[in-house]
Amino acid sequence: MISRLTSGERSIALMLASTGALIGVLMGAFGSGDPMGVHGWIVLAFCGALILVIGNNFYDPEPSEDRTLSYYDDPTKAGLIIALSWAVVGMGMGVWVACQLAWPDFRFENAWSSFGRIRPVHTTGIIFGFGGNALIATSFHIMQRTSRARIPDQVAPWFVLLGYNLFCLIAVSGYLMGVTQSKEYAEPEWYADIWLVVVWVSYFTLYVRTLARRNEPHIYVANWYYLAFILVMAVLHVVNNLALPASFSGAKSYSVFGGVQDAMTQWWYGHNAVAFFLTSGFLGMLYYFLPKRAERPIYSYRLSILSFWGITFFYIWVGSHHLHYTALPHWVQTLGMTFSIMLLVPSWASAGNALMTLNGAWNKVRDDAALRFMMIAAVFYGLSTFEGSFLAIRPVNGLSHYTDWTVGHVHAGAMGWVAFITFGSIYTLAPILWKRAGMYSAKAVEWHFWFALAGTVIYVFAMWNSGITQGLMWRTYNESGTLKYPFIDTVVAMRPYYIARAFGGLLFLSGACIGFWNVVMTIRRAPLKEPERDYPMNSEEPQVAAVAGK
Amino acid sequence: MLMKIIRVLIKPFASLYEAHAVAHYRIERHSMGLSIGIIIAAAIGGLVEIAPLFTIDETVEAAPDMRLYTPLEQAGRDIYVREGCYACHSQMVRTLRDEVERYGAYSLAVESQYDHPMLWGSKRTGPDLARIGGKYSDSWHVQHLVNPRTVVPESIMPQYAFLRRAVLETQSLPGRLEALRRAGVPYKADMISSAEVDAAGQAKPDSDLADGVFERYGEETAIRNFDGQDGRVTEMDALVAYLQVLGQLTDLPESNSARDE
Amino acid sequence: MKEVRDPLTGHMTTGHEWNGITELNTRVPRAIWLFILVTHVWALIIWILLPAWPVGTTYTKGVLGLDQRQQVNKEIAAAERAFAERDRQIRERSVPEIMTDVSLMNYVMDTASAIFGDNCAVCHGTAASGGPGYPSLIDTDWLWGGDTDQIMETLRVGINSQHPDTRHAQMPAFGRLGVLSGRDVRLLVPYVKSLSGSDIPAEVRAAGEDLFSRNCSSCHGADGMGRLQAGAPNLTDDVWLYGGGDNDIFYTIWDGRQGWMPAWQARLSDEDRKMLVIYLQELADGERP
Ligand code: HEC
Ligand code: HEC
Ligand code: HEC
Ligand code: HEM
Ligand code: HEM
Ligand SMILES: [Ca+2]
Ligand SMILES: [Ca+2]
Ligand SMILES: [Cu+2]
Repeated sequence: MISRLTSGERSIALMLASTGALIGVLMGAFGSGDPMGVHGWIVLAFCGALILVIGNNFYDPEPSEDRTLSYYDDPTKAGLIIALSWAVVGMGMGVWVACQLAWPDFRFENAWSSFGRIRPVHTTGIIFGFGGNALIATSFHIMQRTSRARIPDQVAPWFVLLGYNLFCLIAVSGYLMGVTQSKEYAEPEWYADIWLVVVWVSYFTLYVRTLARRNEPHIYVANWYYLAFILVMAVLHVVNNLALPASFSGAKSYSVFGGVQDAMTQWWYGHNAVAFFLTSGFLGMLYYFLPKRAERPIYSYRLSILSFWGITFFYIWVGSHHLHYTALPHWVQTLGMTFSIMLLVPSWASAGNALMTLNGAWNKVRDDAALRFMMIAAVFYGLSTFEGSFLAIRPVNGLSHYTDWTVGHVHAGAMGWVAFITFGSIYTLAPILWKRAGMYSAKAVEWHFWFALAGTVIYVFAMWNSGITQGLMWRTYNESGTLKYPFIDTVVAMRPYYIARAFGGLLFLSGACIGFWNVVMTIRRAPLKEPERDYPMNSEEPQVAAVAGK
Repeated sequence: MLMKIIRVLIKPFASLYEAHAVAHYRIERHSMGLSIGIIIAAAIGGLVEIAPLFTIDETVEAAPDMRLYTPLEQAGRDIYVREGCYACHSQMVRTLRDEVERYGAYSLAVESQYDHPMLWGSKRTGPDLARIGGKYSDSWHVQHLVNPRTVVPESIMPQYAFLRRAVLETQSLPGRLEALRRAGVPYKADMISSAEVDAAGQAKPDSDLADGVFERYGEETAIRNFDGQDGRVTEMDALVAYLQVLGQLTDLPESNSARDE
Repeated sequence: MKEVRDPLTGHMTTGHEWNGITELNTRVPRAIWLFILVTHVWALIIWILLPAWPVGTTYTKGVLGLDQRQQVNKEIAAAERAFAERDRQIRERSVPEIMTDVSLMNYVMDTASAIFGDNCAVCHGTAASGGPGYPSLIDTDWLWGGDTDQIMETLRVGINSQHPDTRHAQMPAFGRLGVLSGRDVRLLVPYVKSLSGSDIPAEVRAAGEDLFSRNCSSCHGADGMGRLQAGAPNLTDDVWLYGGGDNDIFYTIWDGRQGWMPAWQARLSDEDRKMLVIYLQELADGERP
């Protein structure tokens, strides 16, 4: 891969990696005795490895290819493989976390393996590791294809991809050492947060630079969603992570916000991490791969506009539905509840747009498991947004909040929607990227599909049951009109559901492992096939670029 | 008739949408225009909901008796964060009858005003801890944290036996209190400069270090050998000290619920 | 690319194409508009009724004038009113009286079991049978006396707790504080066990008796029967709070013991505490054959 960089690019890459290594040494030295020091050595090892790889091929011959004739897909390929690795790690941790709730001593008698430390490894590993890498990789692919232009630069995408993974690595290793800000989905400490800002700004710049070179007058819907994902996450990330480090040689920091303001800021962030990371970004993926695979036009452009702006505008208001009945003032809760209901319209409009797009391609859905993944994703997207809006109604939330019902809702969205759309996209994308006739084993895709579906259904049903049971038990009054169950009774009642959940998770994980294997085999064994017309437009006669005016 | 009314009502939405779609059609050709549009659309909600929390006075109640976390308690809080206890325990009694009956007076905003960050939590795998302070003995907490199943056989909480062995790191406490002070917690200069001795003093009732703690944080402060081990100040001392002060920083919640009836 | 008609649906496309992807220019379905209408109107109504929008340094209170705190206070007050009569009876009637009133007893048992589960079970066990360091509450062995007033008082002020009136009980650390030598303590162990009936050689008994009368009888009584005013347990009944093994008893005498029972006055109402006492009594009765 290095040999495809020009010597100038190799120098830049080497300089960047060296700067990183230097920062690592500084962190290691100043932070010695603190987890930050360990992070310094991790940074050094990461950048050192990069230096080795670049240095090893530094004097390779200059590449001779004409870059205007092809897309640059190396980072996309790497991103996909990394995403799949994170999937196995993240889901594996999920299964372990689930097992600990059923069998609390199912761990090494060690500080790092306790529930509170490995739970964020699961959430970060899966959301940022698996989800984030999948988003970055697919966005590189999609922004080039829908712009019919090559990415402008060959170092920047690597910087984004590898820099992002360095962030994930620091995050996850930090939790095991007890480094966390405790803010859900924003747990990494201040220096990791700052680093992510640098990566993210490069990502945005790269995206806009590619769009600026496009050979299409209009920007395709998928890109709107990716842009919203990148931009809004940047704003959310910066504001929610504002913190004062206790010292610059240590990891510990304190949020600048406190109490009720901190709660609102955190859930403004937390909910919109769901909205702009787990929804907006993946809608971008859906908008490209679903019509591509189904070979059908998007059902309605107008509906796309409605749902895009609806989602962008309404989502931001609803974070307070995570704080119903708390010390957050009642008025904010009312806003959160009402906007959550209004939000259902654009959400269902997107899900509907996706499903209506499949109209006329149902036979393909039946025969093609990759497309079926995407169809089920759209269905679960519709389901989980409906459930979300329902849970946002105050009295319903009074029952569901703090229980496994939330966890069930999360995984209906996370497994049924996020993971399904990702796997469907990967199965569509891998053969194109590696120029193969198809996936190595269509049967394995089929198996993965059914494992994933069964796993999701078992998981979600178990959590609905346990959540509603627990919520009801907490508020059950006996015939005398006083509370019936002490808390511990509800812990005991959860056990069978926790075992069922762990089993469902294991199925889901098995499916993901099959998928990973299948992708690797596709790269190694599947027969070659050149995809049709997969090169930037400006390499041939421009077709019709004229705008069909309105 | 009904259809007609509905059609009339729908009209404004639809025409608003038409105008918007036309604007969109133009803007979707400019990546920066689109970006700015996205930022504006996404900024409004946050501003309307968060900014007024700083300006509307009644958001945070006034509690003149509110006291600060001592250095030992703050160190315990940091351990609570580090171990991820918030993943299973909330610290927020909601305004629901069953919660008030089970856990005590509902939580007020002022109770967490010095909490950077707040630890209200989002999951109750274990019970709420907002009012746990003083509910059980120190030695029970120690026993429970060392191995929850020795006292509660049905528990699924992890064991934290290592806390009892880990000597508490206090060197960084002045820096930590200083950061909190800059975030708005009213620590005074002498509190920050004596943070290390105060942390040790609070866990050593027999030493003369204890007096300073009373002086700076009030006579109500619990000065005890929390982990039951003589000589050493451990992370267990800090965590138990923190647990024992939860819900004890102000008396306002109880009086508040009584007054409003 | 031109605007074309999709053969399947008959709709026109927008005329754009991105790497093979096209879009239909289908109108937004009527159902969506209706859906928007319904949700917005609903939201509007809620905003009018409930506290909703911030304005400067205050917010719209809503025409219903509701607030979550007021609401829950009202609910709790209503519940208290509903229980007022029963609570009055619990307060005013004696324990034996209550225990013979079947309907009142149902109320007591229902209520106290959850209170016990949420507050006491972690120490005394779900069945109130105690455990190492935590006394059983359903046997006949009481540190502070088993009549209801005594138990009520224990619950109110706790033992060695932070309550100003707390009961104090301290088994001194004879060994650690250097009052007794290790040899003395080792001698006392079999003697203490013998109080509960085990056989020991006469000379050990004599030595133990001497040590005991000089050091222990002030609290546990010359006969080892304990003294309620000091919370000193009866050592002759073979019921051991801290274990009856040689090692346990050795450590009890060497290191001392000081149990810590929280005070419940601030957390549980007078009626709740009285109900707990009755609940315990009822449990204990159930235990006895
Ligand atoms: C896996 C989830 C889990 C984690 C993580 C966890 N707990 Fe718990 N905790 C529980 C459960 C379940 C209970 C109820 C059973 C019991 O009392 O052990 C509980 C009970 C408690 C109680 C007693 C509460 C009461 O009212 O009876 C305290 C105090 C407590 N935990 C503190 C902590 C602290 C401090 C930490 C972190 C160091 C922690 N917990 C981490 C699950 C957890
Ligand atoms: C933190 C643990 C703890 C909790 C919680 C607790 N207790 Fe206790 N309790 C103790 C200990 C320890 C003792 C014995 C004190 C001693 O050793 O002197 C005790 C003693 C008692 C006694 C006196 C027994 C005697 O023999 O005189 C009664 C009665 C009692 N508890 C009832 C309760 C009730 C009822 C509750 C709940 C409302 C409760 N306890 C909650 C620890 C606890
Ligand atoms: C100052 C009063 C006092 C004196 C003197 C005293 N004890 Fe105690 N003893 C107590 C109290 C109070 C307890 C109960 C401690 C608790 O419950 O936490 C106790 C508990 C015990 C127990 C534990 C009983 C059980 O159920 O596990 C033993 C054994 C015992 N004492 C033996 C002795 C012996 C032997 C001596 C003399 C060397 C002695 N005590 C002197 C007050 C005293
Ligand atoms: C192998 C499959 C999986 C298993 C076994 C699993 C298991 C778990 C468990 C046990 C928890 C903790 C719940 C609790 O605290 O009670 C959890 C939380 C979470 N998981 Fe998963 N998970 C899986 C897949 C996923 C996927 C694919 C995603 C996202 C794309 C995901 C996202 C999350 C999130 C966001 C939370 C936090 C929920 C909350 O705080 O409410 N999980 N998971
Ligand atoms: C219309 C759309 C949605 C609405 C209105 C909504 C609403 C909600 C509500 C009310 C909660 C519970 C808050 C609580 O009681 O603590 C919640 C939690 C959550 N939802 Fe959704 N949801 C929506 C869509 C989704 C989707 C598509 C996902 C995708 C993955 C998702 C992921 C989550 C997560 C991760 C949480 C847990 C947050 C936490 O406590 O850690 N939501 N959502
Ligand atoms: Ca962070
Ligand atoms: Ca959560
Ligand atoms: Cu939400």
